[in-house]
Amino acid sequence: MAAIEVTGLGIRFRRARRGRPSLKDLFSSRARRHPGSAEFWALKDVSFQVEAGEAIGVVGRNGQGKSTLLKLVAGVLLPDVGTVAVHDDVAPLIELTGGFVGDLTVAENVRLIAGLHGMSRAEVADRFEGIIDFAELHGRLDTPYKHLSNGMKVRLAFAVVSQLGAPILLVDEVLAVGDKAFREKCYGRIEELLAEGRTLFFVSHNERDLRRFCTRGLYLRGGELALDGPIGDVLDRYNADNAAG
Amino acid sequence: MTRVRAVRRESDSPRRYLHSLWLLSARDLRVRYATSALGYLWSILDPLVMSLIYWFVFTQVFHRKEVGGDPYIVFLILGLLPWVWFNAAVTDFTRAFRKDAKLVRSTAIPRSIWVNRIIVSKGVEFLFSIPVLVVFAIVNGAPVTINLLWFPVAVIMQLLLLIGLGLLISPVCVLFSDLERTTRLVLRALFYASPVIYGIGDLPAPFDVIGAFNPLAGIFSLYRIGFFPSQEDWSVVLIAAIEVVALLILGVAVFRRLEPTVLKGL
Repeated sequence: MAAIEVTGLGIRFRRARRGRPSLKDLFSSRARRHPGSAEFWALKDVSFQVEAGEAIGVVGRNGQGKSTLLKLVAGVLLPDVGTVAVHDDVAPLIELTGGFVGDLTVAENVRLIAGLHGMSRAEVADRFEGIIDFAELHGRLDTPYKHLSNGMKVRLAFAVVSQLGAPILLVDEVLAVGDKAFREKCYGRIEELLAEGRTLFFVSHNERDLRRFCTRGLYLRGGELALDGPIGDVLDRYNADNAAG
Repeated sequence: MTRVRAVRRESDSPRRYLHSLWLLSARDLRVRYATSALGYLWSILDPLVMSLIYWFVFTQVFHRKEVGGDPYIVFLILGLLPWVWFNAAVTDFTRAFRKDAKLVRSTAIPRSIWVNRIIVSKGVEFLFSIPVLVVFAIVNGAPVTINLLWFPVAVIMQLLLLIGLGLLISPVCVLFSDLERTTRLVLRALFYASPVIYGIGDLPAPFDVIGAFNPLAGIFSLYRIGFFPSQEDWSVVLIAAIEVVALLILGVAVFRRLEPTVLKGL
């Protein structure tokens, strides 16, 4: 069964990042004369299928649409054309620490974030110990989140999202943060989840990580899917392209 | 190797919607109460102080006679409590997405929750402040009638009005930067243009006709009808009901249309 089905996917963004338009722009004639010129396609006509249990790595240079693709699969961006069908629950490791609230305690934050990602109250209670264990934050449950160190914050965030139990795992380059020991622990956890048969959708620049986790690769170039194949082939092609250009 | 059991994707189920809505509303309330010593009292203090100020100005300084109803302090509180809810919610609509941009960018919950959690958390504060009304009504011996049953109807109408407005204002404010200030200015004018410190019947022509098209006029009339039979005006209530439905339909349509653009703009 396909876990993720992406068909004819395309999304446009405004090119001029001058901030938000004002009401004046709405009535100005220039914007109306050239409606399309201020926009570009970040992704164009991308189609692929991911089977349940597959581990996919997304490869490409900066600004070629990797993170955008991940966000579309996560459902936090909506496509302009085409469809994204995700047939299972998703644990998105995107902007990991973003949702945490500084003034609330560690325990309150865990319940909030886990709940927003779809865990029921009972499930949160069940997994609470495991999350705190993984984050190594025993005895800090009542500490306001803002008083944690940056490393602790990332640990807590990863602990919550990786405990979601969702069959599909989306990982943006979040693991570049944190100390080496914890990074290894995170990687260990991802391997565990993979061994349990979860589906992984992984965005990274790190060739070693990609080869370690992924079996199949998607190569994005200029917003289009340039190659879809075994991760080794995809990385070879990517390296060849960038050595030449 | 154990296979993961494939579960139905249920992020759109009503149960999960309400769960997320409640989590975020409770979070907003908790943050508000956790960061101030007075905590819950703020919900009461704000409308209470405003009521006392207007009571002082209009009864002690201006010697109000015909405007509004007696006891005037109860009349004021009946307008100000819902006004504070309306005002606080609409003010927060302008930053509904921006304030939690990181969370919106990383959590795939239905986007209308970002609007509705504001209505719920401000609505809870409104409900918390109702004891103020009860106390003043008892102390001043305000006559109670069966029409008090319209009070919850007014709450529901205001709730629907806020949902319609929120779905309209919140996404538009992400797309156009100057709307935040515009909204605040409109709110300030709307306070005096709405029957808060006076009743809809106190407006002289032609303002009574114009004022009748303010949906708040009908809603406030329903809030007051239980204590002040003179505030009964069914045509204004009917106009408000029609406008609430129209705004709701418009809000849903605009929100659907703008949702992808809003997400890109965050």
